[in-house]
Amino acid sequence: MSKKKFNRAVAAAALIATVGSGLLLAAPARATATPVTITIWTFGDVIEPAMLRAYKVIHPEVTIALKKADLDPSMTNLTTSCAAYVQNHRVGNPPDIAAVEVSYSGYWRAYPQCFTDLRTLNTSSANAAAQSLVASSSNIAANLNATDIKTNYLPWRWAQGTGYNDSVIGIPTDVGGLEVAYRTDLFKKAGLPTDRAKVGALWPTWDKFIAVGKQYMTKISAADKKKGVGFIDNVGTIYAASMNQGTYKYYNNNGTDAGQLVYKVKGKMPVYDAKTKKQKIDPKTKKPMFTTGWILNPNITKAWDYTIKANDAGIGTRIGQYTSDWNVGMTKGTFATILAPAWMMDYIKGQAPTTKGKWDIADLPGGGGNQGGTQLTIPAWSANKQAAWDFMNWYLAPQQQLTVFKTYGLFPSTKSIYNDPALVNFKDPFFNNAPVGKIYLTGIQKLKPIFEGKLERAIDQAIGAGLGRVAAKKQGSLQSQIQVLVDLDKATK
Amino acid sequence: MADIATKERSRPKAAPSPWKQKRPKKPGTGVASLNGKWGYLFVAPFIAMFLIFGLFPVAYSTKLAFYKYDPLSLDQAWTWVGLANFKDILADETFWLSLGNTFEIWALSTFPQMILAIGFAAILRNRFLRGKTFWRTILLVPNITSVIAVAIIFGQLFGRDYGMINSIIGFFGFPHIDFIENSFASHVAVAVMITWRWVGYNSLIFLASMLAIPDDLYESASLDGAGAWKQFRYVTLPGLRNTITFVLIVGTIGGLQVYAEPLTLAGTNDGGSSHQLSTLTMYLFNESFINIRYGHGAAIGILITIIVLIISLINFVVTRRVASEDKK
Repeated sequence: MSKKKFNRAVAAAALIATVGSGLLLAAPARATATPVTITIWTFGDVIEPAMLRAYKVIHPEVTIALKKADLDPSMTNLTTSCAAYVQNHRVGNPPDIAAVEVSYSGYWRAYPQCFTDLRTLNTSSANAAAQSLVASSSNIAANLNATDIKTNYLPWRWAQGTGYNDSVIGIPTDVGGLEVAYRTDLFKKAGLPTDRAKVGALWPTWDKFIAVGKQYMTKISAADKKKGVGFIDNVGTIYAASMNQGTYKYYNNNGTDAGQLVYKVKGKMPVYDAKTKKQKIDPKTKKPMFTTGWILNPNITKAWDYTIKANDAGIGTRIGQYTSDWNVGMTKGTFATILAPAWMMDYIKGQAPTTKGKWDIADLPGGGGNQGGTQLTIPAWSANKQAAWDFMNWYLAPQQQLTVFKTYGLFPSTKSIYNDPALVNFKDPFFNNAPVGKIYLTGIQKLKPIFEGKLERAIDQAIGAGLGRVAAKKQGSLQSQIQVLVDLDKATK
Repeated sequence: MADIATKERSRPKAAPSPWKQKRPKKPGTGVASLNGKWGYLFVAPFIAMFLIFGLFPVAYSTKLAFYKYDPLSLDQAWTWVGLANFKDILADETFWLSLGNTFEIWALSTFPQMILAIGFAAILRNRFLRGKTFWRTILLVPNITSVIAVAIIFGQLFGRDYGMINSIIGFFGFPHIDFIENSFASHVAVAVMITWRWVGYNSLIFLASMLAIPDDLYESASLDGAGAWKQFRYVTLPGLRNTITFVLIVGTIGGLQVYAEPLTLAGTNDGGSSHQLSTLTMYLFNESFINIRYGHGAAIGILITIIVLIISLINFVVTRRVASEDKK
């Protein structure tokens, strides 16, 4: 049994033990209810199995069927199921609950007909009764609809699950947050401070972050450099981090299904020379030449430029995240920093157990960050809406989110517990006893809501490819941007 | 009892029975009629499956190719666009790039694979080889391994920094090869995966065909003084001609459907930063389900069909020429 699995098993056992002891007291009083099966379509670790076992103790009559798929296929499946409902009026198909990732939330927002407006569902009184019998469980009152629980959640996370006409189609699970996970031992070796407050103070901006990276690289031996050692695992992650610090990405909310595309704006477009592969220089004035035309919006350009600057500074290892190289590099100290959402902490623990205590967490440059996050939705064709809504209210309630945070590191989206000492004072020994609760909390509270549009995923993919081309030295930055504009026009046509 | 049995058996001999003479005129009973009505019953399950999973999707996607389709739309799911989908695809350079990638991967995998497979078959044919069944089974193991498992393992072999192959390359002092970003290297990596997976299967097919070559041909060849190589060149290879054509056709159809290997290696649906690993089927998936344009996807499907038809036609011509040469 790996350490990670062992930890999980212990956590699960603890959960069952605490909730189970409540059950022993309550068992005789339980009324028999009709059995129901809730099918959940999900991906990754959105739904933690140990929590499901705890729910089974409260609701023995509810069976939860968990179907996991990769992110993109799970969305394709949901489309098929919804098409059967919209075109052929098929009701009762799975799933009863579908997890929707933020990058797809804009897409689904355009199709509110696929989802149950969660303002129309109310938690059942039977559910409240069952939970009151279990001592350690949080009590979900009867007659709660989405409007009633809205105040529990972080506003910008809540907004990601709302459709047009104010309907509520999804309730947020965790919030990703984004901070810098860094290796104290490697920082020390490079003569950098190791204290998390001092480290955070090193990089108030992305420019400073890149400068620190350069400084780190000067301390790296030529042999190590040849082996591909770097400061940050992948400079491409800077793009998404910087994007989420803005107030908009590719769309403006104009009240329509699709949103208004704003990825390009009219502006001063550099004149590109196909021969030199650089910007043309005016032979008379010796100044770079510009013309008026479409360019990427300033937010994209800013994030793009940070990424390219970091790339040119040579501070990244260019290892792709979630590849075997990345997993190995994490243990070997190939990179000293990772931009890590809260949910990645558990991944690091699992992949690099021998680095325990060598990691620490510092603030993200540029102020506040987020990466990822998911909503749970109830499709319009579900046959078990009541049971699904009861479950969602329990699973996403503040107390359960706190348990998930402490066991798996997923950060709660429920702002009602942001003052809870259990969260604020939570320290993780793996990360050098960093107060991870407090650090991530400060970060996510700095963020503003960003409107997610319909083709977010395709646009992100095209820009990611553009940055990849520059990193692989296939194209220059300017040339790649020109192609990105063409690709985006094509993708959004 | 015995008496009756003997009588029964001897009766037709003594006097031909009247019912037996009538039998041909009476359809619907007996073995002969099984080829008629009952035959349909026996093929019905296949026909039903074929109609549902074969013909219907083909017809449906043919329709789809001429429409803009939004399956989730409440008011207008189907919008007729004529040939616009095809025009878009043919104008998209990613399509041509994917086409080129597909054929490059196909060429890199098919030909080395064929040579290896014939080599393996020749070894297995060796009369003095011990544990023949064991070796044959071993050869087939890659073929029954899950493609994804294969891709994950090979992804680790081909890793840019810590992959085994690059570690060996680095040990000898050469610069590491980026098996994902470098277009040609990435095609080689995919071709290696495909070769590894299919070489055993093809060698068994070649082996079966080799065993069908009569031994006296080899005997007379050796009497004429032909060594092992000459026997292989002038007896074995000509005998394999039809099998080579067969393997080539099957390999081509498989080659046009390459999907899981490049997808897992690239890690993204668009086949990497400059679509260097995008194959036709990956392009189809990306257009349909990431860019959410089902009409485009269907049009690509039809274009792939046309390409397969053209290749089949070439194969047909070549095969006929091979067959007519055999007759000479």
